Amino acid sequence: MTSTTSTPLPAVDRPQPSATRGERGARRRIRKDLLRSRIAAWSAVVVIGAFGLLPVYWLLVTALSTPESTFQFPPKLIPTDLTLSNFTALAENDQLIKYMINSLVVASITAVLSVVVATYMGYSFSKFRYRGRRSLMHLVLASQMFPQALLLVTLYTVFSSFGMLNTYSALVLSFTTFTMPLCVWMLKGIFDTIPDALLEAAAIDGASRWRTLHSIVAPLAAPGMIAAGLFAFVRGWNDFIFALTLADKEKQTLPPGLVSTYIGEFQTAWPQLMAASLVVSVPVIVAFMFLQRYLVGGMTAGSVKS
Amino acid sequence: MTTSGISRRGALRMFGIGALGVAGAGVLGACAPSGSPSNGGDPKSKNFDFTSWSLNEEAAKPSIEKIIAAWEKAEKSKIRAVSYPYNEYLSQLTLKLGGGETTGAVHLDIAWLAAMAQMGKLVDLGSVVGRGGYTDVALKSGTYDGKQYGLPWNTGSIGVIANSQLLEKAGIKKHPTTVEEFEAALGELKGLGGGVVPYAAATKVAQLKDIFPWMQTFGCKMLDGGKVTIGDDASVDAVTWYKKLHDEKLIAADVDRFDARALFGQGKAAFYDDAIIGKGVTSAQSKDKTLADSMQPMERPVLKAGDTPQALLWGGVIAIVNGKGQDAATEFALHTTTDQATTSEYFSARALPPSTTAGLAAPEVARDSFTTEWTQKITRTATGSPFWQFAQNAQIEEAVGKQVQAVLVGKSKPKDAMKQAGEEVAALIKR
Repeated sequence: MTSTTSTPLPAVDRPQPSATRGERGARRRIRKDLLRSRIAAWSAVVVIGAFGLLPVYWLLVTALSTPESTFQFPPKLIPTDLTLSNFTALAENDQLIKYMINSLVVASITAVLSVVVATYMGYSFSKFRYRGRRSLMHLVLASQMFPQALLLVTLYTVFSSFGMLNTYSALVLSFTTFTMPLCVWMLKGIFDTIPDALLEAAAIDGASRWRTLHSIVAPLAAPGMIAAGLFAFVRGWNDFIFALTLADKEKQTLPPGLVSTYIGEFQTAWPQLMAASLVVSVPVIVAFMFLQRYLVGGMTAGSVKS
Repeated sequence: MTTSGISRRGALRMFGIGALGVAGAGVLGACAPSGSPSNGGDPKSKNFDFTSWSLNEEAAKPSIEKIIAAWEKAEKSKIRAVSYPYNEYLSQLTLKLGGGETTGAVHLDIAWLAAMAQMGKLVDLGSVVGRGGYTDVALKSGTYDGKQYGLPWNTGSIGVIANSQLLEKAGIKKHPTTVEEFEAALGELKGLGGGVVPYAAATKVAQLKDIFPWMQTFGCKMLDGGKVTIGDDASVDAVTWYKKLHDEKLIAADVDRFDARALFGQGKAAFYDDAIIGKGVTSAQSKDKTLADSMQPMERPVLKAGDTPQALLWGGVIAIVNGKGQDAATEFALHTTTDQATTSEYFSARALPPSTTAGLAAPEVARDSFTTEWTQKITRTATGSPFWQFAQNAQIEEAVGKQVQAVLVGKSKPKDAMKQAGEEVAALIKR
């Protein structure tokens, strides 16, 4: 058997002139086993790929379908009557554009606020030893363990008392309550990897504590801060229930906006909803494309100490 | 001691700066205002809020906005339109009514009226309801605990819709009137083949509350003098019969309202349960443009001739919140639900039956044979669920639905499942 690829074959694939019949049989068995395992591996890749990509494909197909063909049974994997009308309707909907702007504003401010707050808190937890430090750390983490509904009711009554309902501030502060704990722990892990000797050297050179944090530590922790910011942005971008409860139509973000617009008492406008979902995923996809190299580094930084 | 030579005070300051922006929000819960019967503001104000899930929906929004605009112009007032998605409406409204944010007029599904009335913030409209000319069944839909908390806007029911084309194909000349006749008709329809599901009945938990009218058909009261009767022989008989339909493939597995509409819309189901608005919704998503002509309302079959056909009352009411603008909001609600020109126009736009005698007799409505037939055949004997009065209504429906599904998939016997369902419901209403 010959190979057309330029990759050198494994030793077992090369013809062995002096091989006995038994050895040749053994080689054939090995080749068969290799082929079987390759087929199995590729089959697994195809199945897993299809499993992951089919929903995306279906989303795209539905976004390009008419309402009648959406409910066709049995469903057609390759549709015949495609339309762009769902996308044009979306572009003409001023209210949806408003929701999108609200989402961008709120998610961006949440990301920045979460990173700023978490940087100070994470730095404090990582580099200082004081009474109650561990308790505070666990308290921050414990806030993640409350059911969202409980936090929501509390936040609603607080914002209501302060006249803050239906404002961007209410949304940003509420989103920050659930993005911040993870950001704090993520950044603490990253600050842990920065040697104390570096801080001491900076102090010897006359740098103040602020200067040390802002000019030395922060640049080193930048990938982690970007990852934390991205995490906070996505959480803020995707939140549904806080945005629905704490803001009115003027300040609401995309997830409640899309549900309000397309999911009704009697029916759901699936094609328009899918078209809108595709379009609104774009900012998150773009953010990931530009920042993904920081994300992996940021998420894993601090997991192994040098 | 610090690891980098920084004092404890410095460390705490770092922490403090970080925490400052957000820590406050979590600990200020105690500042929450306590509930009061009124949601505050001047009851005589001409300006008020109108809260309705329909204000979001493409099909309803323009007509409701038109009603609002006409009122604002005539009364020189300002109505603030507030909306939440239908599936989130009850929870949002509960929170916001309790928090004092909701005032004015509130559109409610009749299934939610009791839960809202129990919050003690709604106005008793008994003194104005006499001016409306509402039908008796409509008035009942807005009543809780002997008080009129809602002015009925649209009154209908959830009943059975039949496809006359398929019935004709199967040689069924008239609608079956008893359970026995119904079962025989389903058998005939099954014989058509081609993947036809004779009855696209609900079999998914989310919609298995549709079993309730069948339980009532078999004689189960569900709640009798405060005692849960699910688990009695009638409820067991009903579920045993449902399981039989399932096993004989006269109904299909994994069907909810959306699936049923899709099957019916494609001519693959001869009967299914829906609200009166099902005609418009199902025919709109069907490729068969003649389907609407084949849709017929059918009285739910009874156990024996002479029994009352069972159907679940369905519709919407407008309630008024104590406080800001309550007087003007009451007049607005009265106008919206009873002014004949307004109700007729709204009917033309949405095909939702009006709740007044005059509204039902208006030419636009009377001309629509599906609506008039539905009102006479189905809504006439429809009743509300006895569980609507409990805030845990959704959990009750889910608990029963889960047990019925367990029977359908063979995990449980009807008797055991209904006994279990009855116990769970009893525990839920005791809370």
